[in-house]
Amino acid sequence: MAELPGLPTRVEGWIASYLAQAGEGDVMRGDMGRGARWWNSLLEGVAGLTGGRLALLQERVERQINEIGTAFRLPDESEERPWPVSALPLLIGEDEWRGIAEGVTQRAALLESLLGDIYGEQKLVADGALPASLVAGSPHFWRSMIGIDPPGGHRLHIYAADLGRGPDGEWRVLADHVRAPTGAGYALENRLAASRVMGTLQQRLHVQRLAGFFSAFRDGLAAACNRADPRIGLLTPGRYNQSYAEQAHLARYLGLLLVEGEDLAVREGRLYVRTIEGLKRIDALWRRMDSRFIDPLAFDATSAIGVPGLMDAVANGTVIANAPGVGVVESTALGAFLPVLARRLTGQNLLLPNIATWWCGQENEHALVRSDIDHLLIAPAFGGRPGGLRDGRARLGAEMEGEARRLLIEDMERRPQDYVGQEVVRLSTMPAMLAEGTPLPRPFTLRVFAARDGVGNWAVMPGGFARLSDTADIRAAVIGEGAFSADVCVVAHKPVEQVSRLPAGGKVAIRRNPGTLPSRAADNLFWLGRYLERGEASLRLVRAALGGTIDADSGAALAPETAKRVATLLVSSGAVPEKEEGEGITDHGDVRALAEAALDGRGIASVKTLLATVRAIGEGTRDRLSAEVWRLLDTGPPPEGAKDSGALLDRTTRLQERFSALAGLAAENMGRTAGWRFHDLGRRIERGVLICRLLRTFAPDEALADDLTTLLDLCDSQISYRSRYLSGLALEPVRDLIALDPFNPRSLAYQVERIGWHLGVLPKLSDDGMPEEHDMIAADLAGSMATATAARLSHTRIVTIENKFYALSEAISRRFFLQGSESLRAAGMTRLA
Amino acid sequence: MIYAIRHTTRFLYEAPVRFARCNLRLRPIDWDGQKRERYHLDITPHATISTPLPSGYPANTVRVVVDAPASELVIESRSRIVVNRPMPQILPDDPSVGEIARLARQVRDLSMTAPANYMFASPMIPIEPSIVTWCAETVNRDDGIVAACFALAKRIKAEFRYKSGVTDTDTAPIDAFDRRTGVCQDFAQIMISGLRGLGLPAAYVSGYLRTLPPPGKQRLVGADATHAWVLVWCGPARGWIGFDPTNGIMMAGDHIVAAVGRDYADVSPIDGIFLGRNGQRVDVSVDVEPIEEETPRPTRKRR
Repeated sequence: MAELPGLPTRVEGWIASYLAQAGEGDVMRGDMGRGARWWNSLLEGVAGLTGGRLALLQERVERQINEIGTAFRLPDESEERPWPVSALPLLIGEDEWRGIAEGVTQRAALLESLLGDIYGEQKLVADGALPASLVAGSPHFWRSMIGIDPPGGHRLHIYAADLGRGPDGEWRVLADHVRAPTGAGYALENRLAASRVMGTLQQRLHVQRLAGFFSAFRDGLAAACNRADPRIGLLTPGRYNQSYAEQAHLARYLGLLLVEGEDLAVREGRLYVRTIEGLKRIDALWRRMDSRFIDPLAFDATSAIGVPGLMDAVANGTVIANAPGVGVVESTALGAFLPVLARRLTGQNLLLPNIATWWCGQENEHALVRSDIDHLLIAPAFGGRPGGLRDGRARLGAEMEGEARRLLIEDMERRPQDYVGQEVVRLSTMPAMLAEGTPLPRPFTLRVFAARDGVGNWAVMPGGFARLSDTADIRAAVIGEGAFSADVCVVAHKPVEQVSRLPAGGKVAIRRNPGTLPSRAADNLFWLGRYLERGEASLRLVRAALGGTIDADSGAALAPETAKRVATLLVSSGAVPEKEEGEGITDHGDVRALAEAALDGRGIASVKTLLATVRAIGEGTRDRLSAEVWRLLDTGPPPEGAKDSGALLDRTTRLQERFSALAGLAAENMGRTAGWRFHDLGRRIERGVLICRLLRTFAPDEALADDLTTLLDLCDSQISYRSRYLSGLALEPVRDLIALDPFNPRSLAYQVERIGWHLGVLPKLSDDGMPEEHDMIAADLAGSMATATAARLSHTRIVTIENKFYALSEAISRRFFLQGSESLRAAGMTRLA
Repeated sequence: MIYAIRHTTRFLYEAPVRFARCNLRLRPIDWDGQKRERYHLDITPHATISTPLPSGYPANTVRVVVDAPASELVIESRSRIVVNRPMPQILPDDPSVGEIARLARQVRDLSMTAPANYMFASPMIPIEPSIVTWCAETVNRDDGIVAACFALAKRIKAEFRYKSGVTDTDTAPIDAFDRRTGVCQDFAQIMISGLRGLGLPAAYVSGYLRTLPPPGKQRLVGADATHAWVLVWCGPARGWIGFDPTNGIMMAGDHIVAAVGRDYADVSPIDGIFLGRNGQRVDVSVDVEPIEEETPRPTRKRR
């Protein structure tokens, strides 16, 4: 947008109004004070992109965030929420960043050597540099890890620190994260969303890229493994975990297998993943699960999400990143000791200071905190909920009054080791995009990530994410409770080399197959196919039922017998619950009610139920679905509106379009991998079963013309029939087209042929040349097709074929999938009396 | 006294179990005043037995893998233990409760019996403010540690009702406390929660009681099953002393320690996983028989 010469530009106006509100320690104010121009460039660029409307930028970034599928879940909620993000990134100059990166690197190295001592010789404890109770007080200290050397030599592969910037511009470490640091994926997603919106603006700002960090992390994991080209999994607690979306995204981005405990097995002290080709070795796991749950035999015996015997595999060289038990160095109280430990273990002072901390487990420090309580923040020393801070949150001593203060002091007297006093930090501010549409200064913290690279050095992600808050103490705010995130960009003074995303040529072996398909993924894709097909079938039935009512007055309604058959099928297919079955369907109103129930009711095959089912399955296998497929699955049912036949029919049409889109994506966009084959097998088997049911219902020897028309409609074969037969409807030609014609993609014979083709390509378990059970059933089905004739397709004969489909589905489950009914259970613990 | 202990656990499954892996912590550890002489473990059907990585707590763990489908699993553990443990005395110069809490924070030791391991909440025993308040009525800062803990054990015995079937293995200490009812495991957990809340190191013990009392004595509660009680660290001089809140007594010659940990999860005689359907029954029988009396111990008079 053109600006008039001589007048202050729009950007200057933004800056002026922002600076008028920003306090001393504001980041943008500070940078500009030092003469840095990147904020100006950012705002100018943004103004250019949006025609001067900042709110537009926010809108676009939010749309991208939705597009990428970034979401997270709050504890105790089953629905994911979109990730709240502020469109303006935090810009940090490369000079300032270098200080941060060096400090974070030092700290990661320090924590590694500290862990080496705690789980090794324990010299620091013996000579008093590290109190024993400071170690044992951590709920993440696992004695069973003492003396276990980490395969590959390192306990830490990834590390994250939360930093706060004081008004003086000094960065301090607020918290360390080593167990399963979350957020690297969010940082990536924030950046992705921002780059899609800002395009080349980021390059013009010389923003350093993130991709190198992720490949360094993967290289580091691979380097720790015993085998070249190792198989690495990301161990997730499952789709109900808060950061499951991030895990799925990262698994895909890093090329890791997304696995749950159930997918893995330990045999003879080695770790394997259950795949459609049997057990396959796994070399390393990036765990996003607390140590406590990863192995019920080594840690919490009641864990149902872990891998029994995993620790035995670790003893034989399986890499777990980060190693179990590392959480012991996350304790807030440790901050009191790190300055001294840094000098002792690294020979240097801490480059990034901690927030000043006094641990009350020491007598002098306890006394000091007691006497200065009104000027300190009182926090749990090891997390948890000590008796004086029962909600587990840090509190300002000065704000604790009356009974709360009495309880705190009493418990600090009894268990001083559970408390720390900390300096009260003030955080500096950065520009945030809020609803107002202009940037406003808001306090923030910064999460920085470091990962070990292929030679064991620490690589720091040039960026990360900032958490912004409206409250003064941002640490109390969890994302989603009023806080939001922003991308963090490290801006270089010179252009950034554009090499990072593509690995050096020749380094990566070309492969055309994404690797072995885990059984659970195969299972999910198979059932996704079956349920999607079932959903389509229910919709066709609904359409047939409604179609039969709509034209009633013009005389085009279905014959009552046919309408009744449609209704019966709605019930027997499970689309309408049994109890709603009208014993005598007497008028069209009854049929309309059945159709409505099949759409919105609670039947096991109602469209509503099936939509929920496919969404749940899709979520569990999200790392293998494209964003488009997931978005379609994740869309809720269209809003219920009027209940008359016309409105229901409209809604049916919209739903049918959605299912068709999903079928189209599967047919045209999915890679022809084993995963696709299972998905397609699911569809074919479901369709086969359905056609049998339809044939039984609508094509008996005494079928009416309306029955045959309905059958052709339900099988989407109306046009094929008319192009083959000009003479009108007749039983045997219809039967042949629907059952036996291999050229009709909606025929039984076609499904059988495709099934045989898929099974022929899928891996065999045995090498003795003997057919497996599912192969035999498929061959048997093909035989039934080859020898059948339209004239002799009796009811019994169709039932026999139908049963073969069921048997085939079960045989495929037994051979390729996890045995769900035989899941892991805790052996009954015996009672002490 | 020498005891012959036979501890039989029988798992009956409704449908055959395909694959089971268990941790057994049945072989009693050697502990102050007791030594294991013989040990024998029998498992049917055949199982592979191995030694897993150490758990880090005083417990002898073996790993058992049953590979063949089985609908019954019988684990029989037989041991012969010499126990020679005098009844602990309450001494006038015992350190005070407050002193023990202070010392425990300072001990430069992280070995498996170090007090630091046992002074914090553990997975199955949270520190419950209401339990701590209740215990603080009996255990005062200035009391001698042994006298105070003994008084607490006796108070639990007096004020709680022993009843099986009301609580379960995973009943939280606070639930049993609110009901004032439970079994040995509940009482031990309540005592531990309270003592830890007061800053004291308290450990959980699984073990055995002599089944039939010596002539003229009352049969102890919990003698026909695996028993649980509490160890309290009483300072560097006195070390760990046992208190049995179920019976309101101190640990001496009738108690045999099997394993020690922070809570039940560290010492449970058998835990693990199996692949199969739900539906299992567990029968446990324990028999602890004195083989011969050693020379009479003067300390027994204190009972």
